[in-house]
Amino acid sequence: MNGQAAGSSSGGSGDGGAAPRRNTRKPKYSKFTQQELPACKPILTPKWVISVFVLVGVIFVPIGLVSLMASRKVVEIVDRYDDACVPPNTTDKLAYIQNPTISKNCTRTLTVPKDMDAPIFVYYQLDNFYQNHRRYVKSRSDTQLRDASKANDTSTCDPESVANGTAIVPCGLIAWSTFNDTYGFVHNSKNLTVDKKDISWKSDREHKFGSDVFPKNFQKGPLIGGKTLDPNIPLSQQEDLIVWMRTAALPTFRKLYGRIHTDLKKGDSITVALENNYNTYSFSGKKKLVLSTSTWLGGKNDFLGLAYLTVGGLCFFLAFAFTLLYLIKPRKLGDNNYLSWNRNPAGR
Amino acid sequence: MAEDHHGSSRHMSASQKELGDEDARVVRVGDAERTNERLEFAGNAVRTAKYSPLTFLPRNLFEQFHRLAYVYFLVIAVLNQLPQLAVFGRGASVMPLAFVLIVTAVKDAYEDWRRHRSDRAENSRLAAVLSPGAGGGEFAPTEWNRVRVGDVVRVASDESLPADMVLLATSDPTGVAYVQTLNLDGESNLKTRYAKQETLTTPPEQLAGAAVIRCERPNRNIYGFTANLELEGGESRRIPLGPSNIVLRGCELKNTAWAVGVVVYAGRETKAMLNNAGAPSKRSRLETQMNRETLFLSAILVALCSVVAALSGVWLRNHEHDLELAQFFHKKDYVSDDGNGNYNYYGIAAQIVFAFLMAVIVFQIMIPISLYISMELVRLGQAYFMIRDTNLYDASSDTRFQCRSLNINEDLGQVRCVFSDKTGTLTQNKMEFRCASIEGVDYSDIARQQPVGEGDRIWVPKKMPVSVDREIVELLRNGGETEQGRHAREFFLALATCNTIVPLILDGPDPKRKIIDYQGESPDEQALVSAAAAYGFVLVERTSGHIVIDVLGEKQRFDVLGLHEFDSDRKRMSVIIGCPDKTVKLFVKGADNSMFGVIDKTMNPDVVRATEKHLHAYSSLGLRTLVIGMRELSQEEFQEWQMAYEKASTALLGRGGLLRGVAANIERNLRLLGASGIEDKLQDGVPEAIEKLRQAGIKVWVLTGDKQETAISIGFSCKLLTREMTQIVINSNSRDSCRKSLDDAISMVNKLRSLSTDSQARVPLALVIDGNSLVYIFDTDHEDKLFEVAIACDVVLCCRVAPLQKAGIVDLIKKRTSDMTLAIGDGANDVSMIQMADVGIGISGQEGRQAVMASDFAMGQFRFLVPLLLVHGHWNYQRMGYMILYNFYRNATFVFVLFWYVLHTGFTLTTAITEWSSVLYSVIYTAVPTIVVAILDKDLGRRTLLKYPQLYGAGQREESYNLRLFIFFMIDSIWQSLAVFFIPYLAYRKSTIDSASLGDLWTLAVVILVNIHLAMDVIRWNWITHAAIWGSIVATLICVMVIDSIPILPGFWAIYKVMGTGLFWALLLAVIVVGMVPHFVAKAIREHFLPNDIQIAREMEKSQDSHDVTHPEVQMNTMARA
Repeated sequence: MNGQAAGSSSGGSGDGGAAPRRNTRKPKYSKFTQQELPACKPILTPKWVISVFVLVGVIFVPIGLVSLMASRKVVEIVDRYDDACVPPNTTDKLAYIQNPTISKNCTRTLTVPKDMDAPIFVYYQLDNFYQNHRRYVKSRSDTQLRDASKANDTSTCDPESVANGTAIVPCGLIAWSTFNDTYGFVHNSKNLTVDKKDISWKSDREHKFGSDVFPKNFQKGPLIGGKTLDPNIPLSQQEDLIVWMRTAALPTFRKLYGRIHTDLKKGDSITVALENNYNTYSFSGKKKLVLSTSTWLGGKNDFLGLAYLTVGGLCFFLAFAFTLLYLIKPRKLGDNNYLSWNRNPAGR
Repeated sequence: MAEDHHGSSRHMSASQKELGDEDARVVRVGDAERTNERLEFAGNAVRTAKYSPLTFLPRNLFEQFHRLAYVYFLVIAVLNQLPQLAVFGRGASVMPLAFVLIVTAVKDAYEDWRRHRSDRAENSRLAAVLSPGAGGGEFAPTEWNRVRVGDVVRVASDESLPADMVLLATSDPTGVAYVQTLNLDGESNLKTRYAKQETLTTPPEQLAGAAVIRCERPNRNIYGFTANLELEGGESRRIPLGPSNIVLRGCELKNTAWAVGVVVYAGRETKAMLNNAGAPSKRSRLETQMNRETLFLSAILVALCSVVAALSGVWLRNHEHDLELAQFFHKKDYVSDDGNGNYNYYGIAAQIVFAFLMAVIVFQIMIPISLYISMELVRLGQAYFMIRDTNLYDASSDTRFQCRSLNINEDLGQVRCVFSDKTGTLTQNKMEFRCASIEGVDYSDIARQQPVGEGDRIWVPKKMPVSVDREIVELLRNGGETEQGRHAREFFLALATCNTIVPLILDGPDPKRKIIDYQGESPDEQALVSAAAAYGFVLVERTSGHIVIDVLGEKQRFDVLGLHEFDSDRKRMSVIIGCPDKTVKLFVKGADNSMFGVIDKTMNPDVVRATEKHLHAYSSLGLRTLVIGMRELSQEEFQEWQMAYEKASTALLGRGGLLRGVAANIERNLRLLGASGIEDKLQDGVPEAIEKLRQAGIKVWVLTGDKQETAISIGFSCKLLTREMTQIVINSNSRDSCRKSLDDAISMVNKLRSLSTDSQARVPLALVIDGNSLVYIFDTDHEDKLFEVAIACDVVLCCRVAPLQKAGIVDLIKKRTSDMTLAIGDGANDVSMIQMADVGIGISGQEGRQAVMASDFAMGQFRFLVPLLLVHGHWNYQRMGYMILYNFYRNATFVFVLFWYVLHTGFTLTTAITEWSSVLYSVIYTAVPTIVVAILDKDLGRRTLLKYPQLYGAGQREESYNLRLFIFFMIDSIWQSLAVFFIPYLAYRKSTIDSASLGDLWTLAVVILVNIHLAMDVIRWNWITHAAIWGSIVATLICVMVIDSIPILPGFWAIYKVMGTGLFWALLLAVIVVGMVPHFVAKAIREHFLPNDIQIAREMEKSQDSHDVTHPEVQMNTMARA
């Protein structure tokens, strides 16, 4: 593009010298073109550095304390049952879980370590289950879940897209592998009702899973992955499925099973009657039942509080260290004796 | 450009090539049909546009894919289309490449559309063409693009010429036409062109079909043309045609009522179009270095991908037996026909390969695709500011700064060595007659100068010297018949006649006085003719056959019998004049060394000696000297010459050589008349500019064609040389003496170096070397020695150098050091040097546009070099360096975040961040702030940069972009990616978090983090910067929200859900603080305890600002220090 401008004007096409124009080509002055827009030029003075660290420390330490306290307030019961629920003298766990004739019922007893206020959240936790595996996360059809007329949109669902020649609804590995252990709780010889309503996201129920889409041809393949769905209940009400299909970010994850609206007292013992259906034995995964109260932070996790306290402490330390450094090695700001050519005139 | 006192030395090269019959172009005058029979000549339609609507897509894509990076992204996009490797959706994978391609294509299309428009306007202009066959000699208006070679065209005054034409006739009875070549070479003075006497009288319609022109093939040399004209019928003789008979497309006819010519070159074959080739493309050093870092990044990319591939292999091996039943793997495909095959699983080895390729696709933005387009936009912005800078605008020539090359803006900040031409670059190239030595008597005493008396003058030259020497005026008036008076008169007669100046008579306000405008190609000649006029020898009229001179009030007519034009071999020109008193005189003027060879020294040895002394004195004053000689020719001598001259000038083969021979034969045994001294004034601010450049650590070399004495004195006057410098002069006439003086110089340099180990007491050295010695040195491979001496010297002055030697010297430094070189010049003889240097700058001054055409940047004055380098160069370099590093860092941070996540997904290249976010990341989320900052941020103000030129050293020392900084940025990027990934990871471990929510958190965290990182490094915050940085964070949030509002994406509504939790905000804050702490600490330590000059200057600037508020008057005492 370089030479062209000269070329086209060489004939004087319009702007040539035919009519000498009096106005000059002098660029118009403006603060923008002269790069002189009013600007703020902050400089990291010692005052600034120390204030920033103190400020961060002042903000972080209280937040750290509050979240640590919140986390400590959470009462959590975690019970791993996948090994314990296998009958004692079973050698081949895989054969046990795959055999539909063996009863999978199992009973666990939990002791409440501290008072637990309602609502108490019931979770199941899976370890080493790669719900974020590429094969797995891609194997779903969001259009099919939403729209009854798109039932045949199963191209992305391999290898669980069709069974016996017809499309599966809901298709894909994720739906196919829905968790199917069930829990029943007995407290003080009274059944604790588990509220399984509203365990999924409202937005999912309303916009993502259709109220007119019903399970069809589901779990009819040669390999059963997990839960079987009632073909008479629309997907938007199959909350376990909806929860399951919010795929977890990490290979160790919890999913909400339900809520218990009863306060539990310290020392209470709870009997859990569970059905150990879900196959985690094939890949050495772990299954845990979790009962937990909740705070604004979510579940029990000391990490955030500790992290905030550490960072806050570090910032106070840095503020202190910088103060010391500035006192030991002060430097006058903007002193031109520090310019390299003034500093050592001998060396070039 | 000083060596050509006649400006016409450009006749060199191509025109010296003689015309052979076989490669001649045959043009039948007025018969375009037959001329174009073989369809070999281009039509007159010009086409500067590159594309047509049909070819645009393929050609533009083809050109864009010359960039290797684009091929890389194309390969990745193609890989992604394979079903096994489909990481991203179709749209997402092609989008970034498509985006940059489309942006560039739109830019190209717009430029091309403008070219189309101007082409159309140009092609549809009208010209009067002689209608063939009409017989009546009718000139019919024809569109320019229909004009063909062979057409006879009539052009009126002030009209542009539609094509290159040989003049046939003009309104002037002697066949003179004046053209202005402003559009062609930038020279605003008029040039004279002649129609040949033979065609002048014949009406054009009779010439049509009867005349044939044979001319050379189209070439770029606008100062050369060789052809002959053959008239059929009568005595079939060939009339020679030269550069003075052709007028070129793009020129305008002036002061001539009309001119008729025949088109010989049309359209793209015209000399103007052939000269339109763009400057050679150069690559900036930063970009070259950037390629090194890009290679490092590729290595990191390959390493990341290999790690992922290897680990995925290990994982598959460890889980080999689990895969069939694990719900998340489901290895078997029960749907397929045999019911036994595997679904999308081809064995561990294949899976490793797939994992590697998929990793390349996922991590592709490790190589920043947006960087290339960002750099182009930033350079465009920088160019805009340079062009708009009022400090780079030259009011005297009304020229703005020009950026002709858009690739090397940042090189301006790293220059270490400036090679400057002298005439027209350091000096104004506006000549003024200063003093004369006539017959051995020196007239240079300032005290005797008197103002020019205008009194009873009839003729007043437009540009007249302000004062004249009283004694010479006396001598001319009253000298009568004394020897001295006669000589003086002849001296001025020589000045008035021996030139190629054309006087144009203008009407002044006073009807009794005529103002004469002397038009000519050489400023020296203008000065001499004006001087002669001031002393009463006024050149009033010139035609090709005679001149009229008003000699002390009496008009006299002189016949011009012959003229030998200036050429760079002879270095002189001569005229043969038939005087009114019937004597025939030869006047010669030329450079002293060429003139003393042809002067008869026996005639008047005292005068010769005295003149030589005066010449030496003049050149020591920095004046340009010319020596004038004459000889009276006897009748026999004249006739002998005339025969030889006619024979030579009609020769077809070797005409130039023959003419030179004739000239050399007559230019001998001259009587020395005297010498003149012409002053070429320094441009404004040159000494100050050179001083600033020197303070900035830039070496200034001056390469000039002038004499050694002139060069040295100019060196002193522009403060290049100082009295305390030790001069090493290498000025030898033979190979051996040259080697000897070179060896002496080396030993001297070494001695001085060992003497003064204490650098405080170092003696500054200056090397002065002349062209001859350079020839010997380059011939005999002593370049190394020369280099050794040259780099030890603070100043190098090369005098009497030829254009190619200039390039040789630049090459000497370029080859042996890594110093950035800059060449600045204004003339055609500087072109090779300008193209050779890393940065070439053309001065758009007096000597035409050739240097500008070859340059990367062009400006009006030498002193603009200071703001250009010290201010814009510094800014450009610092901005570009930071932008590249930041782009690397920014993309690497994102890739590392993806990488950490991949380690937790069974090494299967899943991304929690949505594919759209990863695609938009470098294009939308973070692109605008870097571009804005790279265009607008300034580390220091203009005033500070000019006050402390030493700050320029930052660029020379590569402080803004180097491997160490790159490593720091990469370490920072790894740390920040760790913070971004692991803080949420640890907080959300064993929780119900879904991947979309976590992905959104990561997206926002990484975008905010890199933007804050940028914000922390911004030095000047104006409202645009604020808008760009905070705006892009907001834009990211909006994009994420929009993506999460699409119900058919798995991550539907995640951002709204997760933003409702306190943990999200707590984590975001923690990530930002933890991510920024190391950078902040490092910055605080670096700026306070290890401050560089720029940091100190920034603080000074800041305190100056607050000082200015309280004490508005600027305190100047700090200046003394710097």
